[in-house]
Amino acid sequence: MNCLKIVSVCLLFIFVSSFLGSKDGLFNIPQNWPKPIYNFSKNPLTKEKIELGRALFYDPILSQNNTISCSGCHSQFTAFTHVDHALSHGINDRIGTRNAPVLINLAWNKRFMWDGAINHLDVQALAPISHSDEMGSNISEVVTKLQHSKIYPPLFFKAFGDSLITGENTLKCISQFMLTLVSANSKYDSVKRNESSFTKQEENGYKIFNKNCTSCHIEPLFTNQKFENNGLPLDLELKDFGRMKVTQNPNDSLKFKVPTLRNIEFSYPYMHDGRFKNLNSVLDHYGRGIVKSKTLALQLEQPIVLSANEKVDLISFLLTLSDKKFLFNPEFGYPKNLLLSLPKD
Amino acid sequence: MRFRFAVFIIAFGINVKLLSAQNFSTISVNFKPMFGHSVLQLNDSIYLLNSRDSIQFTTLKFYISGIAFWNNSTTVWIESNSFHLLDATDSNTLKLAFKVPADMIYSEIKFKLGIDSLTNVSGAMGGDLDPTKGMYWTWQGGYVNFKLEGKSNLCQSRKHEFQFHLGGYAHPYNILQSISLLTSNRQNVNIELDLKTFISNVDLANKPSVMSPNKEALILSNQLGKLFIVK
Repeated sequence: MNCLKIVSVCLLFIFVSSFLGSKDGLFNIPQNWPKPIYNFSKNPLTKEKIELGRALFYDPILSQNNTISCSGCHSQFTAFTHVDHALSHGINDRIGTRNAPVLINLAWNKRFMWDGAINHLDVQALAPISHSDEMGSNISEVVTKLQHSKIYPPLFFKAFGDSLITGENTLKCISQFMLTLVSANSKYDSVKRNESSFTKQEENGYKIFNKNCTSCHIEPLFTNQKFENNGLPLDLELKDFGRMKVTQNPNDSLKFKVPTLRNIEFSYPYMHDGRFKNLNSVLDHYGRGIVKSKTLALQLEQPIVLSANEKVDLISFLLTLSDKKFLFNPEFGYPKNLLLSLPKD
Repeated sequence: MRFRFAVFIIAFGINVKLLSAQNFSTISVNFKPMFGHSVLQLNDSIYLLNSRDSIQFTTLKFYISGIAFWNNSTTVWIESNSFHLLDATDSNTLKLAFKVPADMIYSEIKFKLGIDSLTNVSGAMGGDLDPTKGMYWTWQGGYVNFKLEGKSNLCQSRKHEFQFHLGGYAHPYNILQSISLLTSNRQNVNIELDLKTFISNVDLANKPSVMSPNKEALILSNQLGKLFIVK
């Protein structure tokens, strides 16, 4: 009977650890956060795979002419979005149609892209790699280039015990690096952990937030992961109807993914097409810019009218979502040791 | 004591299974894309659709998955991890072989044309499902189940080309086709797929491209699903 107990305890441990993602702190669920959506048991994190994914993330080898890397439109110090660009630009300076989203807490994401066209983190990278305005390549070309490079076959060998590179392994490594991009060390988080406290202004801003914003931007991820029409007037040039293009359902017209507000201080410009340069413009939109239509979010049927003081307080709360430890964590930065020290061909 | 007994039973079970599973036989299932009565050739062959119109094919790739052998309404063998990409440019991919128990008797083969919805939302896969095989959509999630490309004078498109990339795993455009074919118990099965019948029902003039999960993809897939026959 004792043996059975030991076996079941071991099984339980394996079961639990597969949910946690890793046994050695490569991925930790922040206190009081929900379980991640990503199934780590199908792609268990290892140090080698994360490092390889990080090299791929920062290496322009993923683009057709070796000029654009993922980090080109997703730089760390802006919470992995495209600094100061309303619409992101890719290969040969071609300009896309949307604002690059932040890459934060992706393990909890249900769907990817502003319209949710991508259903899993592993296959997300295929979109920018293949898009003619982004990296202009394809995964098969990328794998061939990696296989013929000097640095990658040994790195894949270290990570997978096989230097034969596949699309599956390439994509899973990129996922591994992106999964580690967890931002949970803002002032807001430390307040929640009772390690510090809000100023009076931040506290008031938090109350305004809870009254007006939290139904879509739910804590602790600050998004409900849903697609909503937040009343932006249609850009007649881009004619982007968002989620409807994916579902072909008119009820999804003008709906876009509710973005996280974490690190919002650094992720400007805002909205799917980057139309607002600063947070004041965003709050102005919710106060007097909402365009009514059939698919408008129910929460926005009444505009969010705030006084000048309330706006200042709300913004001071939003700034407590900045996570400097995340934005400047050297583990997420350019992997100098991998990409600079080794010979390239 | 009870535990020891359980180990004994399990070990005995494994042993029995090993002993009985030592006799295998191989069943070959050969897929033959046809154009009418002749085996379909890509690229150089020009086929007549009628007295006026002609057609050429450049690409034919499709997934066959979830293969199972049945006997009188009971499953007798299921292939595990059953995903096969068939590519008309590589005749080896059209011949599938299954190692089954030697005494297996079957009367029906069942399989799917395409990839099931669970696999479609499970991230990056390897083998025939590796995205480098060119059968995973990049602008949105999901596999292309069936890809047929070529040209015909009927198409009013650029270079008279047509492209059918049929895929879709989510309601209301889950286009996966379940196919059941009755057959006698034999070691070599030839399954034909007549693309002449398929393409003759397609509106090449007005709809030379279907490349999203939509109503057209659903209609075309339903038609394809009915065209597999055992010869």
